[in-house]
Amino acid sequence: MSAIEITNLAKTFGAVKAVDDVSFTVQPGTITGYLGPNGAGKTTTLRCLLGLVRADSGAALVGGRRYADLKDPLTEVGAVLEATNFHPGRSAANHLKVICTAAGLPLARAQEALEQVGLADVAGKRVGGFSMGMRQRLGLATALLGRPKVYILDEPANGLDPSGIQWLRGFLRFLAHEQGAAVLVSSHVLAEVEQTVDNVVIIARGRLVRQGSLAELTAEGDEAPLRVRALDPGPFAAALEAAGGRVEPDGDGLLRVRGLDAETVGRTALEARAVVTELLRERSDLQKVFLELTEERP
Amino acid sequence: MKLVRAELLKLFTTRLWWIMLLVVLLYLSISLGAVIGFAGVSPEEGAPPVFPARDTPAFQRLAWGQAVTGSIIVAILGATMVTTEYRYQTITTTLLTTPRRERVVAAKLGAGVLVGLLFGVAILLLFALGIIPAVLLSGGELHLLDEGVPRVIGGGLAALALYTLLGIGVGSLMRNQIAAIVSLAVWIYVIEQLVNAIPLLQPIGRWTPQGAASALTNPGIDPGSMIDLGYLLPAWAGALLLLGYALLFGLLASLTTLRRDIT
Repeated sequence: MSAIEITNLAKTFGAVKAVDDVSFTVQPGTITGYLGPNGAGKTTTLRCLLGLVRADSGAALVGGRRYADLKDPLTEVGAVLEATNFHPGRSAANHLKVICTAAGLPLARAQEALEQVGLADVAGKRVGGFSMGMRQRLGLATALLGRPKVYILDEPANGLDPSGIQWLRGFLRFLAHEQGAAVLVSSHVLAEVEQTVDNVVIIARGRLVRQGSLAELTAEGDEAPLRVRALDPGPFAAALEAAGGRVEPDGDGLLRVRGLDAETVGRTALEARAVVTELLRERSDLQKVFLELTEERP
Repeated sequence: MKLVRAELLKLFTTRLWWIMLLVVLLYLSISLGAVIGFAGVSPEEGAPPVFPARDTPAFQRLAWGQAVTGSIIVAILGATMVTTEYRYQTITTTLLTTPRRERVVAAKLGAGVLVGLLFGVAILLLFALGIIPAVLLSGGELHLLDEGVPRVIGGGLAALALYTLLGIGVGSLMRNQIAAIVSLAVWIYVIEQLVNAIPLLQPIGRWTPQGAASALTNPGIDPGSMIDLGYLLPAWAGALLLLGYALLFGLLASLTTLRRDIT
């Protein structure tokens, strides 16, 4: 059974179709990136999934059930929605203890969760003084309290510094790949999740644009060119074209070569006695795919 | 029960509650001080006194009954139990932890009753420090279990619990902290005051929460004194009316919370 299963979900706010016929699933042991520009409907989807927003039609299930029907939801799903979900006058430890009390979890879980996210030394401090990154960590600690098997994170990288993002990536991989959890993580910045996710679901203006594994989606982009830089690019470009390549000079001795692999380019350089100073394959950046898929089309 | 504990923990892990407790105790010491200070004092020679004299049972009923004036504070506290959840969006976490919203509402109402009673007990303990010496020093006989004093004390506690629920109901309806507090202040300080003071409006006034609370704490002062409370319902009817209001505010809190989208 899929850990998360969203089927034909739709939600309208006034005249705005926030989510329009969205379907996708998330499997245990994988990380799925839920991507789209701001206002695409990511948060609304997640809030429908968590029973906070009532969908107009369609279903959003966790472990085959509606979130509202889960008996002990925190032991099944850990969710982090916004980094501002805290009373500024309450300490981090007390915030977690309130939730432990309401969920019937042992209060000791509060300290354990704080240690897991690296906030143990500020446990007694009021959240009002926390940085954005610390709030994100506290949100994650909240999600960890019940040791769930499904994690739903809305823009968890917002406000994290580069080392924080690095830490988050490792942590999500640990949860999914070591502990077998299903992780659904939304972001409007592809680069934040690109190195972490196994699968990608892209949404724009409420509609699903594309979904698949990261590898599939990357392959769908333009064939990646080779960047070749040579001291005397003119004759070398001609030699490459003679070898069957499509060459696009880009100034300063740089050539973008398509239709040849690196070995052929190397052999051509040897035969043409060209001095090559750079040779690498440009990544078909998923970011480019992402932009193409989500940009406004007439 | 664990949800009521969680609601109480929410309240007691932030600073607002003891600030409010301090405010209500200060405020009520002033109003109790006035009742004690002006007890038996006539505005002019030969006129009946503003407040009954300290050695009368009526004085004790009136003094204990002042506890009801703490209602604005517990109402505000009740409102903030809901509005801070929306203000800081902790309502999201609350409903993720307990998606069955009717349980959250019930827990808030239960915690509200306890908080109202707790504040009531604190107020009554403070009052005991003022009323008991005042009665004994003036040579009066102390009545704690007769002369209608238990009714007044119990009525004061019930009214404080009810006003906490009123605050929770208004907070659930409005969600905006400032709007809820201003509305409560206008309701308690202006509307309820007017309809309970202007004789023409008193037939309406006796059906308000304050009218019901006053019926329970009615000191039964001689007609002819400056306070004429003859328009009030009998105490038992006041008690029933308070209970009815409690159900109404509980219903209000439920209806406004159960189906709302939390965005």
